[in-house]
Amino acid sequence: MSHQSSMNKADFISSIILTLFGIGVVVESLRLPRLENLNVNAYTVPGIVPGFLGLFLTVAGLAIFVRSIRRGGWKLSLNKDGMRRWLGSAMVMRTAVTVVITMGYAILLFPNVPFWIATPIFIFVFVVATEAMKYGGLPDRKKLLTALVLAIIAGLLINYVFQDLFFVRLPGG
Amino acid sequence: MDGLISFANSVGSILTSWSAVDVVWATLLGIIVGMLPGLTATLGVALLTTLTFKMEADQAILILVCMYVGAIYGGSRSAILLNIPGTPANAATALDGFPLARAGKAGSAMAIATTGSVFGGLIGMIALAVIAPVLAEFALSFGAFEFFWLAVFGVLISGQLTSLDDPIKGWIAGFLGLFIATIGQEGIYAVPRFSYGSTDLSGGIGLLPAMVGAFGLAEILTVMRHEAFEAVRAKSDSVWSGIREAYKYKFTAIRSGLIGTLMGLIPGVGEDMGSWASYAAARQTSKNKEEFGKGSVEGLLAAESGNNAAVPGALIPVLTLAVPGSAPAAVLLAAMVIHGIRPGPLIMIESPGFVYSVVAMVFLATIAMGVLGLLLTRPLVLVLKVTRERLMPIIFVLCTVGAFAIASRTFDVWVMLFFGVFGFILRELKYPMAPLILGIVLGDILDKSLRRGLVLSDGELMQFFNRPISMVLWISALLFILLTMPSIRKLLGRLFKQKAEGGVQ
Repeated sequence: MSHQSSMNKADFISSIILTLFGIGVVVESLRLPRLENLNVNAYTVPGIVPGFLGLFLTVAGLAIFVRSIRRGGWKLSLNKDGMRRWLGSAMVMRTAVTVVITMGYAILLFPNVPFWIATPIFIFVFVVATEAMKYGGLPDRKKLLTALVLAIIAGLLINYVFQDLFFVRLPGG
Repeated sequence: MDGLISFANSVGSILTSWSAVDVVWATLLGIIVGMLPGLTATLGVALLTTLTFKMEADQAILILVCMYVGAIYGGSRSAILLNIPGTPANAATALDGFPLARAGKAGSAMAIATTGSVFGGLIGMIALAVIAPVLAEFALSFGAFEFFWLAVFGVLISGQLTSLDDPIKGWIAGFLGLFIATIGQEGIYAVPRFSYGSTDLSGGIGLLPAMVGAFGLAEILTVMRHEAFEAVRAKSDSVWSGIREAYKYKFTAIRSGLIGTLMGLIPGVGEDMGSWASYAAARQTSKNKEEFGKGSVEGLLAAESGNNAAVPGALIPVLTLAVPGSAPAAVLLAAMVIHGIRPGPLIMIESPGFVYSVVAMVFLATIAMGVLGLLLTRPLVLVLKVTRERLMPIIFVLCTVGAFAIASRTFDVWVMLFFGVFGFILRELKYPMAPLILGIVLGDILDKSLRRGLVLSDGELMQFFNRPISMVLWISALLFILLTMPSIRKLLGRLFKQKAEGGVQ
């Protein structure tokens, strides 16, 4: 499948989302208070600018939608095998692992666990998981040890720089 | 003359204090940040903003300017040695830098890039010193109508130039940015918009967490998505021969410096276009066009002069109009506001010395960049040996802490995460990031100016079009957009051809 053809399909789907989003912005802008009770000038109502922006996004979304249909982007031709191949590709796996580990750190560890514990754990897990994908298996003992040392030093150093040098009170205890 | 004295005083006071040490470490850190693929100048400046916001204003801005100058230059190293631009601004550098390195001239190539960057930086600095005061005075005549058009002009031009193949995506990115800026309490009646009862959202979306996400997490995801790059061992020849070679093309460097400055001046366009436009102009006028892309000294010099000249160029609208010329300049603008400096048309009245202090900062950063770049050629290559698997988690920790540190709010970490994933998806769909960020910066100006303008004109739209400066702004935006559309250019080409044929007959 050519890059342009994939882009046309991506444009087809994203333009639908964009158009709906634009319509949503227009509707929500119309629902914003018009402050009639304060006798404000009609040209200064809070919804006027987002309303125009929503209108632009709707029109632009429709333009991309029409263009993607003309270029055949609506022929999504989704099938189970293709999806499975795509989901199992190294690119998607690397991205998914990165998203899961980074989100896990930022959402779960960072706000709840003391920084000097959470950060070395995150760095170690990230390095080991991504190196395991790179080498096709768990890294050797030397690489694991290097990852552990890197995680501890980086975690403690960042903790020291932010907390002690720049007086940022970090969350998580 | 007063300007020159202020400039000399600023240089003197920086050199005779601990600030001189700041210049060295911040520029070196900038070079390293720029060198590492996955770390951009924008992210470097944003992360340092979070670290420096408790410092004195002058010291913090000095450090950020040094980081900015250093990072834009540092990206040339990875472009030359790995064929991977360290920052997007160094993409044109790789075209000729990498072939030179492959031919065993890595040392020369790095010296040519350094010389070009110093040349470009100094030309841009002179332009900053000369143009900023004049533009600030001119901008005093700007009212609501003019600021409205400036915001529209900025978003449209930035969208157009950063997405030349598909301008509509650039405009959408810009308008999404403008919309994001409307979230939270609006500036006239303090009515919360799109907040849905959330106190955090009522405060609006912070520019810095958004930028750290869009340029940090999004970049991490992009780097991890693609195949790993292999660090190369550079066969290095003498750097001094490179300087001599670069000197032969001094006029190319001067022209590229001017083009780069101009690109920097245009809102939201910045270093990437500064580099590409200078490269294109050098190729067009060169006697050795066939060498471009195969290791042309002229091409490499033009690309690097262009991007570094765009740095001071991008600071001109920051200081005089409070409109950023590039993405890193947008962070710098936010940092200035955090430190109580009020960039905009009144700057030459309220704090005229500050403009020349910034000129002095750019000057010293450029000199430090040149010296460090030439002296540390070999040790700096070692930085490129760090693998992405080990670098990216540390960058992400810095992004998380950096987003949090600004206001000690976990909400800003969510904003960073949202913009990271959203920015990654937009990038994959070929929507540029620069107009999005410019939109967030200009959203407030556009909102207030349009509404004030409508009140002043009592709903009479013609007043937006027929005032002299407004007219120049909207006509130039329209012409620019029309002239870059392939269908219009084809039509014009056909018309001119017909006219010429008619003339011959």
